[in-house]
Amino acid sequence: MFKKFSSEDVSSQNQVKASVQRKIRQSIADEYPGLEPVLDDLLPKKSPLIVAKCQNHLNLVLVNNVPLFFNVRDGPYMPTLRLLHQYPNIMKKLQVDRGAIKFVLAGANIMCPGLTSPGGVLDDDVAEESPVAIMAEGKQHALAIGFTKMSAKDIRAINKGIGVDNMHYLNDGLWKMERLD
Amino acid sequence: MAEKPQPVRVLYCQVCSLPAEYCEFGSDFEKCKPWLIQNAPDLYPDLLKEADSKEADKVAQQLQSTALSSGSADGSAPSGGASASKQEEVKRLPGGKIKRKEKQEVVIEKIVRNKRKCITTVKGLELFGIKLSDASKKLGKKFATGASVVKGPTEKEQIDVQGDIAYDIVEFITETWPDVPETAIFFIEDGRKVAAA
Ligand SMILES: [Zn+2]
Repeated sequence: MFKKFSSEDVSSQNQVKASVQRKIRQSIADEYPGLEPVLDDLLPKKSPLIVAKCQNHLNLVLVNNVPLFFNVRDGPYMPTLRLLHQYPNIMKKLQVDRGAIKFVLAGANIMCPGLTSPGGVLDDDVAEESPVAIMAEGKQHALAIGFTKMSAKDIRAINKGIGVDNMHYLNDGLWKMERLD
Repeated sequence: MAEKPQPVRVLYCQVCSLPAEYCEFGSDFEKCKPWLIQNAPDLYPDLLKEADSKEADKVAQQLQSTALSSGSADGSAPSGGASASKQEEVKRLPGGKIKRKEKQEVVIEKIVRNKRKCITTVKGLELFGIKLSDASKKLGKKFATGASVVKGPTEKEQIDVQGDIAYDIVEFITETWPDVPETAIFFIEDGRKVAAA
């Protein structure tokens, strides 16, 4: 999604109304309860929350010009990788084997066998259509943010095709956009 | 109320921007290597071995060229017999306490971050009995920039100077501290140690 993303894909940037700001905060808090204690630091009530609307119904949530979350249409908010790296335990995790790393970093979606092989790890609590952190065999930090197409159990049972859509990965356009000025 | 989680500090590569552990999958691992050897040696132990063996090769080469005292065939290695013997001399300098057999040399490296910004690190001045805090002040003043003494990745202190001053710095060092011979100053370029002289 962010493969060729750049500031040119941002069509508008607006400070949102207080009511919208509250709604965004609430949905982030609901999706990531682990973030709640630091939510006031991340999205200070006093700093304006900016929503940047981009191509393909994509929205970025920014504070002080730093992208922190994104979502598509009305879908769930997902953290940027830099934010996830700081708070790695806010999302459920799936792990790909080492062989899959280079494909994920090229933007490929995550295929089931990369998760079910000996180097992969599946958390059976992960449901279908939910945001997940994509970890990698032998690595400490997440390399992508995914959105599951099947539940972890189905990934294991079906074991072919795309298991998780690759939403955002290291070195994609969003990663490179540390700030949006 | 849940406890406030502390943000994790991730070591990002200043060359390719990825978490250092992913440099090997980045677009140009070679370029990251010098930075990784300095800043994340435990992530890539093989790199260090690689660098060490290169170093060993160089020493062997140096010994050979002194023994034969013939012009070195490889023009890119400016390590004549003269510099080797000079290094022997400076070993007996004031200060007295020579820790083990640490080679007395100053190593300068430019580290690029964010394409344009860079810092120049200077290591080893203390081996010549120079106080690093003093040196850092002098460097900052001379180059009108920020300079600070920081603990390097191997727990040894080094001086970080903002900006690319790699080429002016040699003259400044030899003028300010005559005890440091130009032959003992080296640059790290593309992960390789290159003599400044
Ligand atoms: Zn790197």
